[in-house]
Amino acid sequence: MISKPYSLVILLLLIAGVYAQEKQYTFKEALESSLIVETDFSYEFDSQSLQKSEIILKPKFSYRVNKRSKLVLIGQVYSELNDNLEEEVPGQETVSDLSKRLFIGDRTDLELRELYFYTNVANKLRLTIGKQQIVWGETDGLKLLDIVNPQNFREFILDDFEDSRVPLWSIKGEFDIKDIAVQVVWIPDNTYHITQDFDAPFFTQNLFPKPPEGVTTVFNDALKPKRFIKDSDIGFRLSAFTQGWDISFNYFYYYDDLPAFYNKIEAFDTAPTVVISPRFERQHLVGGTFNKVFGSSTFRGEMAYVFDQNFISTNPVAMSGVENSDVFKSAIGIDYIKGESIISAQLFSDIITDDILAYNRDRFETNTSLKVSQEMMNDNLTLETLWVHNANHGDGYIRPQLSYWMNTSTQLFLESSVFYGDKNQLFGQFRDRSRVSVGMRWGI
Amino acid sequence: MKINLITGFLALLMLFSNKSKAQSFPSGKDIAQKTHEKNEGVSMSRKLTMELKDKRGKIRLRETISLRKYFGKEKRLAIFYQTPKSVQGTAFLTYDYPDVSVDDDQWLYMPALRKTRRISAANRGDYFLGTDLTYEDIKLETRISREDYNYKTVRKEMIDGQECYVLEGTPVSKEIAKELGYGKVKFWVDAKIWMLRKADSWDIAGNHLKTIEIKDIKKVQNIWTYHKIFAKNHKTNHETTFLISEIDYQTTISDDTFTKEAMVNGL
Repeated sequence: MISKPYSLVILLLLIAGVYAQEKQYTFKEALESSLIVETDFSYEFDSQSLQKSEIILKPKFSYRVNKRSKLVLIGQVYSELNDNLEEEVPGQETVSDLSKRLFIGDRTDLELRELYFYTNVANKLRLTIGKQQIVWGETDGLKLLDIVNPQNFREFILDDFEDSRVPLWSIKGEFDIKDIAVQVVWIPDNTYHITQDFDAPFFTQNLFPKPPEGVTTVFNDALKPKRFIKDSDIGFRLSAFTQGWDISFNYFYYYDDLPAFYNKIEAFDTAPTVVISPRFERQHLVGGTFNKVFGSSTFRGEMAYVFDQNFISTNPVAMSGVENSDVFKSAIGIDYIKGESIISAQLFSDIITDDILAYNRDRFETNTSLKVSQEMMNDNLTLETLWVHNANHGDGYIRPQLSYWMNTSTQLFLESSVFYGDKNQLFGQFRDRSRVSVGMRWGI
Repeated sequence: MKINLITGFLALLMLFSNKSKAQSFPSGKDIAQKTHEKNEGVSMSRKLTMELKDKRGKIRLRETISLRKYFGKEKRLAIFYQTPKSVQGTAFLTYDYPDVSVDDDQWLYMPALRKTRRISAANRGDYFLGTDLTYEDIKLETRISREDYNYKTVRKEMIDGQECYVLEGTPVSKEIAKELGYGKVKFWVDAKIWMLRKADSWDIAGNHLKTIEIKDIKKVQNIWTYHKIFAKNHKTNHETTFLISEIDYQTTISDDTFTKEAMVNGL
């Protein structure tokens, strides 16, 4: 029996083969290729050492099968020369077999980032079948609805979302019902967030309470969904543009990309031990977005209501150390454009609806972000600063960036990421990871 | 006394003669209207290459595929970036409404974010993606505004061997001048095919700001079509050359090409 996402690959090849019979282009006309090379070297202030020395090659091939169909392949060769962010070969336990990266030694891996077949059937139905990224939402910097694809937290949230988002084997169908654009997604790929080991630079320690002195911790393997159909994620988005308003309604039935960390204290050889048994669990999400332009400003918003979100609890009577509650997340933002300047401000709220005692967070959490961008010299030079701040705990990060187009193909970057705040909080925990980076992006 | 009478008569004759000469030119308003009546076809696809040259001579190239379609009187335009390769997939979508009092709707798809961002179209005088043309220049193409300027048709001149009416325009209000970034304009409009062939503009302070030259105008599928625009900013000495090729007015472009979803899926 053919199992799991392999079926999707075979389906993709079969469809591509059938469409290839309608070929209207010569091979040379049909094939388009490009290569992007990126380098990024980051110096960590605290340790006074290189935090990362990254070289990424991204070849892309797009083969136009006919006027309405194409096959797209995006690969990636990733090298981290000082093997610091993901030390040695990571286990990839949360990644499905067909989405795993292939490691060549400790420092280099090969990844099939995307491989999909896109077709427009009779101008009625647009299908994208294969490994791809599906992105929802309106916000910058922090995610509410952009949860269809999981994320690699190798650099927490500093990596470009394009790189940190983990593409999944999935089918996306799009069609219109009158003026409503419908998008339906089906994702049988059981891949979840790639979190980091305890000793990795960007291990998110704020998620877990430290065990009491003298108590050891045992981490069991995460209980991960494996069934191809029953454990797949499904969702849809309805969107419309009416009276100057862009609006969408989203629904997603999915496994949370972070497991619930069930824990209990057991005695091994009379020594108390905290045993943590992570388990991925189902959730429903409903949400939506809106935006409208008023003069020089765009007003935009995003909402997400998540049912039965699991939290590690500090309530001593909580079952296995976990409580759950619905969560309402919202964000409103405004983008003001004047000439070559953009000012973008966002306010994020996150409310736990039930009276539970979630570890290391308040029931009402507020984050803010401010981005100021200035383009100069006919878009040759861009100065940008992003500031994200948590109002509850006073932590956050500031990220000034300068980018410069040297010529048509080459862009240079200089940026710094500075974290501040309490070491037990989401952003503050990385205050020793503050860094300055230089990089280049070149494409042919 | 006799001499005075003759002088007076001659002066009157010259005055009338000048007046009748001026009246032989169509009014600026009529010329502006005629530039809007030119046949543009319903659909069009074309390759648009932008060559940006700074004052030191550094050249950057951008290649795009541009698709345009009329939905009644509403014009929709989608531009898909092909190069630089590192920003390939960037797409720009505009809905241009016939009612001039209604701002266009615009979206920009950024492949690095995989998100489509709604952008304000209120700032007509902002420069279009780093070039030397403003959003308003891009929108009008070879037409001239019917509402923004008070025109005076001053003479006829030859441009590229073609007879053109020369129009001088001043913005109808200070607000419009500020919006457009121009305090004065001068247009050369072809007297036969009613297309703009050259434009000069001055900033609000009266400094010579820009020269735009529209070149290589010839018929494609029986529609008068320009193939090159050269724009020079005299203040920054930055130049942009737009080269237009692979023009096709008979191509079938599906309506859903001009949607946010199509921007994400690309060409």
